[in-house]
Amino acid sequence: MGRIIRDYAEGDEITTLVKELTQEAINLFEGSAGNTGPSQFTDVHAAKEVLGTEGTVASGRMSLTFAIEMLRRHFGPEVFNHTGIVDLRFLRPVRPGDTITFTGKVTGTSKEANGSRVSVAIEVKNQKGDTTGVGQGSAIVPNAFLPPEDL
Amino acid sequence: MAEVDDRIELDWDALEVGETFEKFEYLLTQEMIDTYRKGVMDPEASFPTIAHKVDVRQYNDRYTDAGSVNARCAFHCYNPPTPGKRLTVTAWIADKYLRRGKNYIVTEAVSVDEDGRLIDRVITHELKQPSEVGKKWGG
Repeated sequence: MGRIIRDYAEGDEITTLVKELTQEAINLFEGSAGNTGPSQFTDVHAAKEVLGTEGTVASGRMSLTFAIEMLRRHFGPEVFNHTGIVDLRFLRPVRPGDTITFTGKVTGTSKEANGSRVSVAIEVKNQKGDTTGVGQGSAIVPNAFLPPEDL
Repeated sequence: MAEVDDRIELDWDALEVGETFEKFEYLLTQEMIDTYRKGVMDPEASFPTIAHKVDVRQYNDRYTDAGSVNARCAFHCYNPPTPGKRLTVTAWIADKYLRRGKNYIVTEAVSVDEDGRLIDRVITHELKQPSEVGKKWGG
């Protein structure tokens, strides 16, 4: 695959990512690490006992994973998988049946040794328009991926 | 015979920032990666290590508490892990703080594979009164 030369400017919007959460997806996420016992993520009774909620919730780490996917698609895996960072705060629960939408906007760039760190503000909303998470992400885009005028 | 739970009950005031847990090792299999990718609906998802929650695993092996809610999590990508390789995790208590009368613990972990490749770093802020969050979430 060829190198993508792209400039990054403050205010640039990232392509949104939409995910529909199901209990099956949550179970697979938890089960992939061998977490097969009942928990607030997989079992209604455990959720009631630990959180006092009427149903299960998705781990915040699933939202983290989706934010990483959004930025990986934007920067490309060759960049993001080696220099990417995502830092998310979880404000409201994400439950099975929710549709969550991830948006991002470039907030700035700063010079690093061999490239530029591009920072992105991230917001996550559910189908009701409630914000379930906010945070930021970044990646160091190597000089070879930037247009000459940005160096 | 029933297993004896020899974990220590968490005393938040006594918990020391900087406490480093015993290293933890696991084998990352292709099956784990495939299941993770199915769960997150992304065939190219590169860091299945996120689901392993390795930063709080060693904490949970040492301490018992009322449960927790993940309030904030940061993930640093260094190199996607390779299936069939053993990963070694070093985890420690990075911070603790009190906010609006609620106790938080920050754990941090770094994963390295058997060839010495740095894989990722994860930093998690856990609220240690999970039922408080349930009340706010309104069931």
